[in-house]
Amino acid sequence: MLEQYNVFLANAYFALFALVAVGSAIGLLTSRHPLNGALFLVGVMLSMAGVYSLQASPFLGVLQILVYAGAIMMLVVFVIMVLNQAKDHIIPRPDGFAFTLLGLPLAVGIALVWLFTVKAPVKGDDHALRASVERIAPVLFDTTTAGPGYYLLFELIGVLLLVAVVAAVLLAKRSLDTDSDEEPSTAGDGHDHH
Amino acid sequence: MTTIDPIHVQVLAGVLFSLGLAVVVARRNIFLILMGVELMLNSVNLSFVGFSRTFPGDASLTGHLVPLFTIAIAAAEACIGLAMVICITRGKDTVDADAFSEMKE
Repeated sequence: MLEQYNVFLANAYFALFALVAVGSAIGLLTSRHPLNGALFLVGVMLSMAGVYSLQASPFLGVLQILVYAGAIMMLVVFVIMVLNQAKDHIIPRPDGFAFTLLGLPLAVGIALVWLFTVKAPVKGDDHALRASVERIAPVLFDTTTAGPGYYLLFELIGVLLLVAVVAAVLLAKRSLDTDSDEEPSTAGDGHDHH
Repeated sequence: MTTIDPIHVQVLAGVLFSLGLAVVVARRNIFLILMGVELMLNSVNLSFVGFSRTFPGDASLTGHLVPLFTIAIAAAEACIGLAMVICITRGKDTVDADAFSEMKE
């Protein structure tokens, strides 16, 4: 009895999160200002974090809120506000072509239901583990049992993030420099200015 | 005990992916295109997590690990992408993707 109640509750929450996610994504597609779109995307991220938690992955849910809704979307909103003086920032609503594209998700959904029920049915496994931090950490860091693959990947991601941050600072710095004063050393490399 | 049907998760991921694709194709604002790409990346993560619930035992943990790396890659991608947007919009005073067509001819 209690178990049935839990299953019903999980499905109700999933339906709620899915509705919010799809509604926010449609809002992103039809938004007039990119700032509105960014807030809609935050809505998608937050409801997706709820779906992760329902899918026995609380760590990913927290990470989704911290990294996506927190860090990445903050960066996007910040840059939108920095470049807000561009004259064509407020854009007209998408044309008829965009609204016909709304049929695309419907077609994909129907195709997936057909694929996973008729052609290659998928079933949830009763022995799937809950991906808590205690279970994920050994797979990632314990190289004696899981092999060095994920650990190497983890280190490489660290290097990649460092390189990305340095590159982003260099890219943005140069364009800001040439905006204020024209230096001969940075005049001819890559970016356009007129 | 599995509570949510994996099919429903896959359908949600597919619908969100195609909505992100629609944003990338239909909108011409640079920021909206970037956000559409972010939405597509997110829905693939959701697909990984959904499929991981169909494996038994330790194999079910792998699908929860891959999104960790994808999120890190997405952070680097947003970082570089926004720096490039700042770079190309300076001196242009527009954020319309159709305005950047210097490589056309």
